[in-house]
Amino acid sequence: MLARVANNLFWMGRYIERSEHLARFLNVNYFSSLDAPDELSQSRQFVLRSVMYMSANEIIDADITLEEEAVLFNVGLNLEQPYSIVNTFINAHENARSSRDLISTELFECINRINHSFKGYPIEKFVKSGLYEFTSMVTQSASEVRSKIKGTLLHDEVYAIIMLGVYLERAIQVSRIINSKLSDVAAAKEIYGDVIDGSYQWSTLLKCVSTHDMMRSFYKKTPSRKTTLEFIILNGKCPRSIKSCLYQIYKYICIISKNRQITDDSAAFLIGKMKADFEYKLITDIEDNIEEFIADLIEHLVLIADKLEDNYFNISDAIVKPDVKVATEIKKQTQKQ
Amino acid sequence: MKETKTLPLFSTYELDSRFYDELLKDNNEVREVYKTLYNLFGSYSVSEFDRLNKQAKDSFFNLGITFQVYGDKEVKEKIFPFDLFPRIINNKEWTTIEKGVLQRSKALNLFLWDVYHDQKIIKQGIVPEDLIKSSANFLPEMIGLDPPGGIYNHISGTDLIKHSDGKYYVLEDNIRCPSGVSYVIGNRNAVKHALFGVFNQYNAHTVVDYGSKLLDTMESVKPNGVDAPVCVIITPGVYNSAYYEHSFLAKQMGVVLVEGRDLFVENGFVYMRTIYGPEKVDVIYRRVDDLFIDPLVFKKDSMLGVPGLFSVYQKGNVTLVNAPGTGVADDKAVYTYMPEIIKYYLDEEPILNNVHTYHCSRKDELKYVIENIDKLVVKPVDESGGYGISIGSKLTKEEIETVKKTILAAPRKYIAQPIMSLSTHPTYIDENESFESRHVDLRTFTLLGKDTDFVLKGGLSRVALKKGNLIVNSSQGGGSKDTWVLKK
Repeated sequence: MLARVANNLFWMGRYIERSEHLARFLNVNYFSSLDAPDELSQSRQFVLRSVMYMSANEIIDADITLEEEAVLFNVGLNLEQPYSIVNTFINAHENARSSRDLISTELFECINRINHSFKGYPIEKFVKSGLYEFTSMVTQSASEVRSKIKGTLLHDEVYAIIMLGVYLERAIQVSRIINSKLSDVAAAKEIYGDVIDGSYQWSTLLKCVSTHDMMRSFYKKTPSRKTTLEFIILNGKCPRSIKSCLYQIYKYICIISKNRQITDDSAAFLIGKMKADFEYKLITDIEDNIEEFIADLIEHLVLIADKLEDNYFNISDAIVKPDVKVATEIKKQTQKQ
Repeated sequence: MKETKTLPLFSTYELDSRFYDELLKDNNEVREVYKTLYNLFGSYSVSEFDRLNKQAKDSFFNLGITFQVYGDKEVKEKIFPFDLFPRIINNKEWTTIEKGVLQRSKALNLFLWDVYHDQKIIKQGIVPEDLIKSSANFLPEMIGLDPPGGIYNHISGTDLIKHSDGKYYVLEDNIRCPSGVSYVIGNRNAVKHALFGVFNQYNAHTVVDYGSKLLDTMESVKPNGVDAPVCVIITPGVYNSAYYEHSFLAKQMGVVLVEGRDLFVENGFVYMRTIYGPEKVDVIYRRVDDLFIDPLVFKKDSMLGVPGLFSVYQKGNVTLVNAPGTGVADDKAVYTYMPEIIKYYLDEEPILNNVHTYHCSRKDELKYVIENIDKLVVKPVDESGGYGISIGSKLTKEEIETVKKTILAAPRKYIAQPIMSLSTHPTYIDENESFESRHVDLRTFTLLGKDTDFVLKGGLSRVALKKGNLIVNSSQGGGSKDTWVLKK
């Protein structure tokens, strides 16, 4: 497999996963807040700030009033915002397009059709009444794409590269969602102190990651800080926990790196080390300094992504859009039609 | 069976007696090969057909069977306009076409060999030296070089039209990067899906074998000493207008689709960068133009090619398909000499007609062209995609004067031909919700390998969607239709 194409497939997997998490975060936070138990959690400004923090990684000053429709547009359908859901999926599509000779026709057709429907979704409808419909469509579409990946591709190196992207991005997004919710909980604590038990925010966190039902089934009690974090970070049976993602990442890096020497600064080594570290980690080891742990976790995951690119993709400047000179050259090619 | 022209979809179909109509004879009777199809279409209501037509178009869009259109600010994805009424070619006509296009491809290959070796045809005064040396597509770097298998134009696309006399004429031989074969297969699938009850009434040849034949052709011209050649396609990239076709062909053949930056040259061989390190490449179907393939030899600042690729080619360690420099033979001025070229190399009479062509570099012909522009089509010799063409009968007085000046400034650059009467074919016109007659041409696809050849039994029928228009190229708003070649 070409290194450039491997890079495209890796990023295709990442962008598909990212679009799903952005959409679910937006959906769950917005709609949960409408009947949230406390005033802060119901506050439009509080929710919009949380959405901007998660989607755009932007911390908005408290004295700035956010306009709801503008935030929804930017996060959902604004083609000018690199973090918007529509752009995230467009990037997935572009990466699929530039490797369509390697992926199945069924997979490409699925991504292409979804891309057209996202790009054509009416902005006016989205910001006024279509938020639920659009975000649900995105999460369902991501599932559909993953199902095509699993069901229509040989489970070989191509598949392993895509799944590496999927699980690495999932681990990063789940970590970021935890980070964002920890920040929301801290803000609530600041106002209400210990009067608030935080179960609303923990339930929201679980729903954002699609793990609420699994968690309830596992613990059979209302989510608390400890059980939520334990489940979402350390439960090896939950397919969306950090631990589970690391197991998957490890599985797929083993396929990719079977013919390579594993040096101690390679992606394969770092992944193996991190997986081993998680093997015997307990919630009691991390609960007291959870913010620090999550920040460190995100940093490690990003480092692994960088190492993967260094080790396997080589061409670090894989261009999504050609620069002016290349574009001019491409145009000049005489492909008679 | 007596046919009447009363079916709803044909209620506005008008026969223009100046042109050969593929469906109807002069007396409005449906031609034999179309009778079944014509009557089957009668079972569709206008709304039903309209729905099927829209569904087919949507499927092209969703499947990504598209080409890129460059605007000032953005690149847009468009489908090649398509309609569900296929063109049918009977077996007898096809046999002539097939033999004719193969004859031309073989003659052009021998011509290319001669041009880059002994130049006997020039020395014997059959083709003027000037014509070759002044061609923008003549590559002096190819002189004396022996391409593996002795083949230059592995892939040819021949454009044909049917004139009002009912005979096929060749308009152009495209042997650089002829495009469109992916649409042939896409169109066939769309028609089969939408009209499955219609398609199985006809015994048409398949078109799905093109990919495997192309791979066979590529493998047949592998470099010496290679047992199992690694074949790839090189594309300018995802923003090229024909990128869909490049990826389609790579997928059909199961070969890797590379860009220039994926390849590098080391110790006289070409390698591609894979996740497991370098892998040697033996045969490259290149969809990058000559001057862009190697910045060390041709266009120095090109970003699309592979530095050193041409030196590997010179050593015989990699095969380029089509060979560099083939463009000298699809120059429209060389086309003028095709009858002589066929006779000289094959000692045969041309099976397919050439359109009479005036070459503006010849004084007496230039004079005729200048005096009769209103009756001629003027074409630049080295353009493609329908660009730069002037149809005399459509020009204003001022435009005629401008064309005259342009020709006189560079006569070698232009040829002129009588305005040919391209045949017409029923084409579904969305806005009128009915079939109307539109001009069509036919592009065939021929493969030449070492001791092997193949003509795809089908082709791309291109349609000029605007009423009365004669230019069918997709870049000029043309559409396409499936082409059925009958087995008997």
